[in-house]
Order: sequence, then C-alpha cells, then structure tokens
Amino acid sequence: MALPMIREIFAQVFKRPATNPFPARFLPPSVTEFLKKVGAGEATINPPVATPPNFRGKIVYDRDGCIGCNLCIRVCPAHAIEFIPETKRIRIYVAQCIFCSQCNDICPKGVLTMSPEFLLATEDRFAESQIVE
Amino acid sequence: MSEGTPTKKAPYVVPIGPIHPALKEPVQFLFDMEGEVVKKADFAPGQAHRGIEWMGMRRNPIQIIHMTDRICGICGVTHSFAFARAIEQIVDIEVPAHAEYIRVIIAEFERIQSHLLWAGVAAHELGFDTLFYLAWRVREEAMDVIEYITGNRVNYGLIQVGGVRRDITPEQHPTIQKCLDGYRDLLGKMLNLFLKDTTIAIRCKDCGLLSFEEARNLCTVGPTARASGVPKDVRVDYPYSAYGDLDISPILPTAYGGDINGDVYDRIVVRLLEVAQSVEIIETCLKEMPEGPILWEPKLPKLLSACKKAQGEAVGRHEAPRGECLHYVAMDGHEAPAMWKVKASSYSNLHSWIPMLEGEQLADVPIIVASIDPCLSCTDRVAVIRGAKRDLMTKEDLHQLSVEKTRRIQGC
Amino acid sequence: MLSMDILLVTILAAIGLSIIGIALGLILLGIDRRISARMQARIGPPLRQPFIDLKKLLSKENVIPENAIPSLFNAAPIVALASSIVVLLYLPIGSMMPILGGYGDLILVMYLLAVPALAMVAGGFASGSPYATVGAQREMVSMIAYELPLASIVIAVAWLLYSSGVADPFALTSIVANPIWSLVGPLGVVGLIILLLTFAWVSPAELSKIPFDTPEAETELAGGVLVEYSGKNLGLFTVAQGVKTLVMGGLAVAIFFPWNLSPLFGLTGYVALTVDAAFFFAKVILLMILSVTVIRTGLARFRITHVVTLFWVWLGVAGLFGLSLVILDSVLRGWF
Ligand code: SF4
Ligand code: SF4
Repeated sequence: MALPMIREIFAQVFKRPATNPFPARFLPPSVTEFLKKVGAGEATINPPVATPPNFRGKIVYDRDGCIGCNLCIRVCPAHAIEFIPETKRIRIYVAQCIFCSQCNDICPKGVLTMSPEFLLATEDRFAESQIVE
Repeated sequence: MSEGTPTKKAPYVVPIGPIHPALKEPVQFLFDMEGEVVKKADFAPGQAHRGIEWMGMRRNPIQIIHMTDRICGICGVTHSFAFARAIEQIVDIEVPAHAEYIRVIIAEFERIQSHLLWAGVAAHELGFDTLFYLAWRVREEAMDVIEYITGNRVNYGLIQVGGVRRDITPEQHPTIQKCLDGYRDLLGKMLNLFLKDTTIAIRCKDCGLLSFEEARNLCTVGPTARASGVPKDVRVDYPYSAYGDLDISPILPTAYGGDINGDVYDRIVVRLLEVAQSVEIIETCLKEMPEGPILWEPKLPKLLSACKKAQGEAVGRHEAPRGECLHYVAMDGHEAPAMWKVKASSYSNLHSWIPMLEGEQLADVPIIVASIDPCLSCTDRVAVIRGAKRDLMTKEDLHQLSVEKTRRIQGC
Repeated sequence: MLSMDILLVTILAAIGLSIIGIALGLILLGIDRRISARMQARIGPPLRQPFIDLKKLLSKENVIPENAIPSLFNAAPIVALASSIVVLLYLPIGSMMPILGGYGDLILVMYLLAVPALAMVAGGFASGSPYATVGAQREMVSMIAYELPLASIVIAVAWLLYSSGVADPFALTSIVANPIWSLVGPLGVVGLIILLLTFAWVSPAELSKIPFDTPEAETELAGGVLVEYSGKNLGLFTVAQGVKTLVMGGLAVAIFFPWNLSPLFGLTGYVALTVDAAFFFAKVILLMILSVTVIRTGLARFRITHVVTLFWVWLGVAGLFGLSLVILDSVLRGWF
C-alpha cells in the first residue's frame, strides 16, 4: 500500500493554511452593523485580496468629455448602455454590465474606464451605486 | 450484495440528477441496477440550455466575442478563440504573429487551470477531498497569472477579432516564468500523489473502460480520446495560430510508461502530463514570441464595418482542454451573423458515458461521469418543452424541422 | 431502602455522564474537523462548530418523506443515540469505574456497538428513497465485514486475561485493572500491536468515515442512509456520531492504553478522578486523530467490495494472526 498523501498532510499541519480569511473572523449578527463599526474605526476587517493591474471593475464615466457618438452602445454586448437623447449623454446600468471593457476600447474620447472597485452587490439593481451617468 | 453473488431481486432504478452532489452541472442519469452493478445506463442532457446562439445572432461579432467568453465557466478563451478564427476566415483577416503567440499562451494557461480543476473534481468524486483542495490550491497559481495578463480571473476578455486586446510585455515575463517553474517543480509531486496512491489506483484502474474502437467510433475528442489511445489533437492535426511553429505531439497514456487501457486512471495520466506539456509550450512561446502589433485593425469601427461587409461561412476550431471545440459562423452582409453554431467539446464525449458506465458499480458512477470532464452548460443547445412536458424528438422530427427552416431561410 | 439510594445515584450519574458524553463527543467532532482542515491547508471551523450546527438542526422541523414509514423513520435516530450513550455508560473513564459495569461485559459492548448502525440501516430502509436503500444495504455489508477483525481483538483480550487467571475475563473492569501489555511476552507484544493496528482500521469503519463511508458516500449517494433525514432527526444522528466517536476512542483506551496518571503522582479522591478523566480524554483525542482524522484525510473512498475484501481478507487475516501470536505467546510462556 502506498499512501503518499499521509506524509503530505502531516507536513501540512505545521504550515500556514492557504485560505484567504473572511472579512470578519466570525459572522457578525448583523453585517450592516459590523460594516458601520468598521467605518467608524471600531472594528477591523481582513482586507480583500488585492486586484491585479488592469483589473476590470465598476465602470467610470467622464460625462464632460463625452461627445454622444453612440459607439459604445454599438459594441456593448450586454446592452448595458442607454443613450439619453435630451442630454446627448449615456447612462450605464452596472447591474447589467459584464465588465468586458469593450466600450472603453472603442470610445474615441477615452472617457470610459474601468475602476478596480468590485464590491458592488446590492438588492436594488437601480440603486444609485448601480447606475453610472 | 457484493459482486459475484447474483441477486434474485428485480432490477431497480436509481436516478442520478439533474441535481446531485456527484454532478457539477445538471444532467439526468437513469440506471437500471442489479445489486450494486449498473445494468443499463441512460442520460438526458439539455437541462442547462441558455439560448446563447439566439442572442449571438442578434449581435455583431465584437459583441459576440464577449458572449463566447461566457459560454463556459472554465474555458474563458476556448470559445472566443474558435469564434474569432471563424470570423477571421470569413473577413479574411491575417492575425499578427505576436497576437497568435499571446493567444496560444493564454490558451495553454487555460489548459493548465482546467486540467487541475478537473483533477480536483475527480479527487472529490473519489471522496479524496484533501487532494481536491491541494489541486485547486495549485491551480490558483495559473489563475493568478491569467488574472495578471488579462485583468480578470474567469472572463478573460482577451481575444478580439483579428488579434488580442492586451499585450504580454517583457516586464511580465518574470512573473509568468516563475509560475511555470513552480509547476515544473510541482509536477513530480502531483504525479506521485495521484498516480502512486493505492486508494486512487484501486478505484480508477480498469474502471470506466473505453476501448480504442469505441473511442474512435463514438468520435470522442480530447483527453478522453487520447486516454483510449486515439492520437487526436487539433493542435497537431490541423496546426493553427502559433501551434504550427511548435513541436508538439498528442499525449497518450504510454508517455507515463504504462499500456493503454482507456480507463479512468489513463485519463488522469493524460491530463496531468498535458499540464507539463502546456508548461513547455508556454515557455517556448515566451521565448520565441515575434515582435509586432497585437491587432489586425486597432480601430474598432473599421473592424466592425469590415465584418459587416463580409459574406461567407467558416468553421473555427480550437483544441480546448476537453477536446476539439468548433464554431460554425455564416455571415451574409449584415451586422449579425446569419448563423452561429457552437459545438462544445463535451458534446462529442457525452456518448462515451454509456459504454463506460454499463457493467460498472454504482460507486464508480461519479468518477466515471467526471472522467470525461463534462461541461454541460457549454454543450446544451436544446431544451424542448411543450407545455409542461419534455418531449423527445426523433430523427424524422428533426429532419422535418430542418427542412422547414431551410425553406424559411431560402424564402427570405 | 439502601438499594433505592444506589439506584437513584446510578440514574443521576448516568444522566450526568450522558450529558458530559454528548458534549465531549461534539467537541471531538470539532477537533476532528479542525485538524482535518489544517491538514488540508484550510483554516477550518471553530471548535464549537458542531454545537452551532446542532443548535441549528434542532431548531428546524423534521421533514418526513411521503413514502417513508414514519414510526421507524423517527425511532431510528433516537435508538442510535440512546444505544451509543448506553455503551458509554459501560466504559471506564479514567479511574472512574463504569456506572453500569456490574451489568454487562465486553461482549455486550460489542453488541451494543452494532445497535446504532442497525438503527441507521432501519432508518435508511424506512426512508423509502433509493439512495437510502442502497446506503442501508451497504451499511449492513460493512457491519458484517468489520465484525470479524473486531471479534478477533475481543477474543485475544479475553484469552489473555483468562490464561493469566483473571476472574471475569470479559468484564471491562478486569481488562482495565490488568493492562494487557503486562500479560504478554515479546511475541505477544507483536501480536497486540497488530491487533491495535487492526482496531485503528475498524474504528473509522464503525464511525462510517472515509475511506469506509460508502453507506453515506456524499458524491455517490448524496448522504446514503441519511439522505432523507433533516432537522431534529439529523441532529440526533450527529450527536450519536459524536458519542460513538468518544465510545470507540474510549474502548481503545480501555483495551490498549488503560494506564492512569493518578498512581504516578500519588493523587487520591476527586483530584485523581478529574486528572484521570482529563488524561483519558486526551488519550481519546490522540487516538481519534491518528485513526480517524489522518485516515479520512489521507485516503480516497473505497468501493463496498474493497471494504469487504479489506476486512475479511487483509484485516481478518491480520486480526487472526495477531490473535494467534498472543495465544502462542501465552502457550510458550506456559511451557517455560
Ligand atoms: S464594460 Fe462591456 S458590458 Fe459593461 S458597459 Fe462597457 S461594453 Fe457594456
Ligand atoms: S463612445 Fe465615448 S464619447 Fe461616444 S458616446 Fe460612448 S462614452 Fe461618449
């Protein structure tokens, strides 16, 4: 009988675990309360794993530079961008965006970029944080 | 109860799936059992159809590229690669050599992470969770490098029609090289843990057999075919992209010194050795990568109009981690393709389940099912639902439907 | 009225010990999970995780499948728990003699150990699910399989005591009072070591742990015998599992490592009881880690056919070999 794993696990007990720790050590009774405390500096969280360079997170839009050319809408695979005729500007629904950054590539003015922000979950897809305009 | 003692009990039916811990994706199995032995096996895919081709035929190629990224949750570049190659043939685009090398590098990194992911899943199916954690921990290295090159872990968004969207600069080489060296060191350990372990060997040897003839007749692809001794590999048989410049040959189980049995064990051997092969390929590509642009046409509006003007049809192929992936595209001078058909590699492999499973023990069902590395969400193309009831379509029905559709297309 | 008093004390002690036993059993499960996690390079749950799980399970309703036999289905977890606790009451804990020691012996313990497994089988068949049925069949097969090596261990121990002239060779009290290692020569030591190793392989089977967890086999049978169990019933099974772990450890300690700390330090009274009990628990933890945690972390799951072959052929032979060595040893020593 050859059981090479047995050696491996005995060696592993004395090494550091590979798990990335959760933000909090134990699940707090209320996550929102806990986050408030963190905001106030009363509690600490394990920081999230760092994002790599060129990470594609929540989209950023520089409204003033936009010329309303509509090119971004043409290439957006998720139909996440809407054109507002009155202002000749666009509106991006982050809840629908698939973070491909194709719109960034095509924008002639370079007013669209991807930020490293990725903690975007909410319950309301039309919340303020979910709409970029 | 145990093998050898035939029970007088009538065969009973054990259903597995569509949702079951042994299955990572939905598919339904029905087994006629006699004691612990599977007498008859049947399966019904089509539980994860998402209508992605329908969506694609309403979008332009640049948009579709990003949808192809999401056909599979593991292969983030396979489908985009195959699709881009189809479009490039129709529009007559010559992809810059530099970009071809980057495509190959990322495709091979994908093979590494996919095979390691599979190795973990296989270990889990065997009840060997420690090995599962270990394999996935090792896989993280490849994921990190993919993230480092492309920006994201799963949906790489790297391929563009006519090239790639991000370059691999010389500053990035050391990080990539470090990862490759790590894998080279690790390989011996992985081979030892997977192939020398007695408990794995007794579960996997002579289990889920697929003979050479069956593998060939059922048109299996990828590691499933190679483990049965069919030397089939799109990268070698029809060299494309930068693969033509490389000196590679299909990996057969004999590379590990054994005979070809076509069992689960051989499938482990093939996949682990392919990880080593991919490491070599990436290394060569990094060294020999020619200089040049990364895109055929950096101005995307121009690319879009070139695609719009093009007419014709083409097939794009790529050797995915699970075998040949094929995209058929037809363009007729519109923004969106007239036809887009995706054949994922698992589609060719699913039918090998039946000969593999029949006569095996119920306990071996999970590992045999997992051994072809099925990817069902990529595969499912139809889900026929009439009312609340599922319907089976016979060959005649399908023929009738296609005749009708051809008439419809000819009409317009 | 004296007997009434004794009865009352016995009942109170039994209840107290049951509660302690349940708590210790759950702690054992927690330690097992934690250590296993560290072996797999994970952080693992906190030690009190089994208690948290139990609290959650007990707060949930029982779901009884439509085609189950409710009476049997509901009785199974209770029987499983009750019988595991009863075994505990037969075990000496440190220097504290078993509460029910006067009423039964090792043979009875062996029988009682089979009851939780039988309850699982009954519950599995009663749940009316094909997975549970297959699981129950497998549970039966593995029970029959590990009984042979276990029996050879019991016989070896009883033989040793008997041949050394100890009265009541099957009583656990006499086993603890006469550490078996002191009764044998070099050949017997080898035999006992073989038996100890056999026992180390029987324990995970008795506890349905990987590689012998074929009756539950998560990836094959989705939990097998337990697939239809939920809520409180599943909670009871969890507790039974904890107590059983404690019992198997306790049994190993009683048979193979019965030494106590108190004679060494000359302790007496309650201090001695406490110290010995703590030492007993430490020994149980160590044995459990070696024979359950390590094995379940370092091996893949066997097929049921492998389980049968392993226990009937390999461990059966090992057990009988160990037994013959022990017998041979005592016979040889009788000659010289
Ligand atoms: S990142 Fe992609 S999905 Fe998101 S808005 Fe831009 S083009 Fe659309
Ligand atoms: S492509 Fe750029 S400039 Fe044009 S509409 Fe979009 S954001 Fe504005």
